Amino acid sequence: MSSLSKLIRNENMKIYMRPRTWIMIGFLLLTVALLSGLMNWEASRNPSTDWEQSLTEDNNRMQQELQNNQDLHENQKADMTEQIKLNAYYLEQGINPKEPTLWDYVDISSNLIILVTILTVIIAADMIAAEFSWGTIKLLLVGPASRTKIMVSKYIATMGFALLLLLLCFGSAFAAGGILEGFDGINQPLLSVSESGIVQQSPMILDILPKYGFAVISLIMYVTMAFMISSAFRSSSMAIAFSLLFMLVGNSVTMLLSSYSWVKYLLFANIELSRYMEGGASPIRPEMTLSFSILMLVIYYLAFQFIAWLLFTKRDVAA
Amino acid sequence: MTEAVLQLRNVTKKIGGRTIVDNLTFDIPAGEVFGFLGPNGAGKTTTIRMIVGLISMTKGEALIKGVSVRNYFELAMTHVGAIVENPEMYKFLTGYQNLTHFARRHNGITKERINEVVAMLGLQNRIHEKVKRYSLGMRQRLGVAQAILHRPSLLILDEPTNGLDPAGIRELRDYLRKLTKEEGISVIVSSHLLSEMELMCDRVAIIQGGKLMDIRSLQETRDAAQTKIIIEVDDIPAAEQLLASVFDAARMNTIGSQLELTADKEAIPHITKLLVNAEIEVMGIHAVQKSLEDQFLEITGGEMVV
Repeated sequence: MSSLSKLIRNENMKIYMRPRTWIMIGFLLLTVALLSGLMNWEASRNPSTDWEQSLTEDNNRMQQELQNNQDLHENQKADMTEQIKLNAYYLEQGINPKEPTLWDYVDISSNLIILVTILTVIIAADMIAAEFSWGTIKLLLVGPASRTKIMVSKYIATMGFALLLLLLCFGSAFAAGGILEGFDGINQPLLSVSESGIVQQSPMILDILPKYGFAVISLIMYVTMAFMISSAFRSSSMAIAFSLLFMLVGNSVTMLLSSYSWVKYLLFANIELSRYMEGGASPIRPEMTLSFSILMLVIYYLAFQFIAWLLFTKRDVAA
Repeated sequence: MTEAVLQLRNVTKKIGGRTIVDNLTFDIPAGEVFGFLGPNGAGKTTTIRMIVGLISMTKGEALIKGVSVRNYFELAMTHVGAIVENPEMYKFLTGYQNLTHFARRHNGITKERINEVVAMLGLQNRIHEKVKRYSLGMRQRLGVAQAILHRPSLLILDEPTNGLDPAGIRELRDYLRKLTKEEGISVIVSSHLLSEMELMCDRVAIIQGGKLMDIRSLQETRDAAQTKIIIEVDDIPAAEQLLASVFDAARMNTIGSQLELTADKEAIPHITKLLVNAEIEVMGIHAVQKSLEDQFLEITGGEMVV
């Protein structure tokens, strides 16, 4: 009887021995490099030698606006007051906020998780369907491993690939930031204004990890969906096409239909939990809450897994 | 023989009210090459795939070394090696990586065992090349290697000769003979190529329309009185008349200038003596073994679709 860890090693071998996988990894690294280079070039194009002067000017302008403009919204007023306090702190400590640090590169890289998601979706969609396309499914299934075990090994290998891409994305952005701006920026704290109105410091990583976290939740959902599609279709091109189609079209269709209340039950309406965080875009439907979305995501996740399992283990392999 | 390697009990498959395989029951003892013969669509492939769990059974049970495939799939499969149609391998992996892949599923397959099998099949020179550069014959050999790595008790081959050239078929046949003799493996082969089956198998099951029509031992068949004697003489009617006095007239048949007679080979000297004594000129007299094909067509009523 096969052990799960050996089956996972088999699946990993099949992922990493394909040239395609390394093209994907190279593509991700290239994108991080390009983005970092662009950021560095942009910063060097506008050398901020007179940043102290411009911060002072900004603060004066905002002070005046606060006093003179009566139409200002409460939120806008609060934002401005915070910004004035932060700017004053920057001036006091001699920190140039426009000067990018290592963490800005890592922060920007969190936007690339959508690319990580797309690449992993391609792998996931191919995971089961490709065995059918290659005709290897018969030899794979005729062995001392139950279909459930084979499916679990494939899912874990897919998630391992996602984790690898995430680490590479984070690591390469970190490296690029360190090389371009110096690794001393690692101790750069995140400055914010607390509720009591005092400027406070917190580790930068605590600001970036949630961004990665939210992106990873949607990654897991899309990848699990692609995995289900992979076990439904027995051709890899169909599985990849449908997975990407759902992923890319789902969001815009949900936006278009947002006037209907049933839209809140769609996966795509719930997949971005960052909407419920401070400073995020508002939820698609006003009545939606964080716990509702989490519940919906859990239901979708279990449904995807169950359908994938049913399709993979219960169907005859005839062709 | 204490226990058959494979036992089928009332194995049935129905799809949408149509019965594809109907109540198959038979045993295969150790060390036997068992052929599965039938026209296309007779249910050969379906039966084989039910034995290895690729297709679910509607009814019945398959036991491999006494272990139920349905209830203890993983345990039952440790005894099985399979080559299902053309052995499709992972083309982007090398031959050796493919073998590693299949070896990892079983416990206790050592590197030495892999190398031993590679050497046995004569693949050692190109085992570290990618499979996409292999010829069909080499892929077939890799398929056999994959199937015997874990020393199975039962080897299942579904249409193994599809797409092989005659040399490849012959090679495969020799391996199978060797395996059954040296390692005591039982083999099930399905094919619609009669001549192939005749050379490979000890026993064949003939199925048609999902039903088991007959199981016969080829050795017995060869020895049995299933021989046709072809007699060429100048005066056919005279010979016919003469022989009718000794043999059953129903077993005689005139085809052109030949007289066909179904009888034992041992009857030839007797027939020759009779003809010579009656002064009938004998041009030739020889025995033709009734081929499996003839018998097959007899059983299936000539509905052979190849």
